[in-house]
Amino acid sequence: MSMVDRALKIIFWSIVTLTYLPIVVMILFSFNSSRSKLVFTGFTLENYISLINNANVWESFINSIWTAAVVVLVSLLLGILMAYAVVRYKPRGSTLLDSLIMVPIIIPEIVEAVTLVIFLIIVGFKLSPLTIIIGHVAFDAPLAYLVLKARFQGWNREYEEAAMTLGADEITTFFKITIPLMMPAILAAAFLTFIWSYDDFIKTFFTRPTGFDTLPVYIWNRVARGRLELDINALSTIIVAISFLFTYVRMKLVKE
Amino acid sequence: MEGDTFIDKIRRSRSLKLFLLLGPGLIFLAIFFFAPFVISLMLSLGMLDKEVYTWYLTFEVTLRYYIRFFTNPGTVRAIILSFYYASVTTIGTLLLAYPMAYYMAFKMDKRMKTTAVFIIFLPFWINFILRVYAMRFILHEAGPLQQGLISIGLLSEPIPILGTDIAVIITMIYSYLIFMLLPIFGVVEKINKEYIEAAYTLGAPPLKTFLKITLPLSKPGIIAGSLLVFIPALGEFVIPILVGGGRAYTIGRLIYDNFIRISGILGWAMGSAAAMVYIGLILISTYIYFKFVGREITLI
Repeated sequence: MSMVDRALKIIFWSIVTLTYLPIVVMILFSFNSSRSKLVFTGFTLENYISLINNANVWESFINSIWTAAVVVLVSLLLGILMAYAVVRYKPRGSTLLDSLIMVPIIIPEIVEAVTLVIFLIIVGFKLSPLTIIIGHVAFDAPLAYLVLKARFQGWNREYEEAAMTLGADEITTFFKITIPLMMPAILAAAFLTFIWSYDDFIKTFFTRPTGFDTLPVYIWNRVARGRLELDINALSTIIVAISFLFTYVRMKLVKE
Repeated sequence: MEGDTFIDKIRRSRSLKLFLLLGPGLIFLAIFFFAPFVISLMLSLGMLDKEVYTWYLTFEVTLRYYIRFFTNPGTVRAIILSFYYASVTTIGTLLLAYPMAYYMAFKMDKRMKTTAVFIIFLPFWINFILRVYAMRFILHEAGPLQQGLISIGLLSEPIPILGTDIAVIITMIYSYLIFMLLPIFGVVEKINKEYIEAAYTLGAPPLKTFLKITLPLSKPGIIAGSLLVFIPALGEFVIPILVGGGRAYTIGRLIYDNFIRISGILGWAMGSAAAMVYIGLILISTYIYFKFVGREITLI
C-alpha cells in the first residue's frame, strides 16, 4: 500500500469515527448519575425512568407519528398520480412540469415555512395539526414524485399491455397490474417521506398551533435554552437504537 | 352517445385523464406553495395591505420594507456572518468529503462500498436537532472530550469553544458533510478507470494524473455538493442558536425574528422581505458560482 493510500485510509476512518463520537458520548451520558451532567460519576437508569414517566414526551411522539402517517398517505397519493401521468402519458411540457414540481425541494425550508404561515394567516386559516400536515405535504408530495418517477421510468410496460390485450380495462389494469408492479417504488417513497416528515423541525415549528408539539419540537423546546438535559440523552439513545434498527431492516428489504 | 357514463368519458379522453392525474397534486402545490410565495413577495413589496379585517391590493410597489430591513444595523452583519459560515462550511466539507469519496470509489471493493455507505449514513438517521445537541457535549469546556485531552496532557487548559464562530462552523461541517460526500462519491465512482490507467501508461505521474484527469472529471459532483451544502447553510437557523449563542446571528434567525418579534402586518411584510432577500442572495451566489466554476451539474 502506497503512502497516499495509507493516508487516505487514515483520513477516511478518522472522519467516520469523528462523526460517531458525539453520538457515542451522548449515549454514554444518558447513563450518567451525576448532577453536574458533564462529569461521569456513576451508572444509572434514572434518566430513562424519568423519560418514560414524562407524559409530554409520549404525547409529542404520538403527534409526530400520526401527522407523519397522514402526510405519507396524502403525499403518496398525489405523488403516484403525478408520476404515473408523467411517465405513462408523457404530456407536452413535461420538463417544465418536472421543474415546477421540484421547486419546493430546492427552495430553503425556512422560506417555505414563513411564506406558508403568512399565507395561512392572510386567508384566515387557523394554525392546527392540519396546517402542519399541509406544510409537510407541500414538500413530501414532490419528494414522493421524484422517487416514484425515477423508478417508474425503467419499468416494463409489457405486463400492462398483456393485461389489456387479454381484455382487462385500463382501470382494472391499473389496480391489478400497475400498482403491484409499483409497490417496491411506493414503499421506498413511503419510507423517505415518512422519515422526512417525522424528523422535520423547521416547517413544523412555524406551522404548528401553540401547545401542539411533535418530537423534534419538544426536543427543541427542551434544549434551545442552552441547557443539557440528561433525559434528552436517554431519549436520543432510544431514537438512535430505533433508527439503527430501521436502517438495518430497510437494508434487508432493499436487498430482497 | 347513448349511455355514456362519466367513467366512459374518462376512458376516452387523454386530456381528461391527465387532468385527473396531475390536477390534485398541481392544485395542491399551487395553493400551498406557489401562492404563499407570490403573496409573500407582494406583501414585501407593499402590494397588499389590510384595513381592519379585509385585505386589499394597493396597486403600488414600494421598497419601504426592504429599506427598513437593510437599514437595521444587525442585518448587514447577519448577512456577512451567514456568508462566512456557509463559505467556510462548503470549503470544509469539500476538503473532508473529497478524500473520503476518492478513497471509497478507488480503494474499496463493491461489498466494502456498500458497508461504508451504510456506516456513513447511520448517524444521519438521527434527528438533526439531537445531532447538534450531541455536539454540545463534545464542544463544552467541562465536557468529556476537552477534560480527557487535558488529563492525557494534550491540552493545557480548557478552550471555551461553545458559543463561538468555531463551534458553529465545526457543527455545520459535521451536519452538512453527507450532502457533500454523496454527490461527489456518486460522480467519482462513475469515472472510467481506463482514463486513469491510460494516463499512467503514457507516463504521467500520479499527481499530474489526479490534477489533469480525476479532478476535472469529478467537477459535476463537486458543483452539486457545493450547492447542496451552501444553499441551506446560508440560511441555517438551528445550529447558530444551539451552539453559537446570541452573537451567531444569521439570515435564518433574521427571517424568524422579523416575522415573530414584530407583530401584525409589519412583521409579516418584514419576514417576507427577509425571506425574499435570502432567495435573492442564493440566486446571486449560484449565478456567480456558475460564472466562475462552469456549467456542468449532476444532482446525485
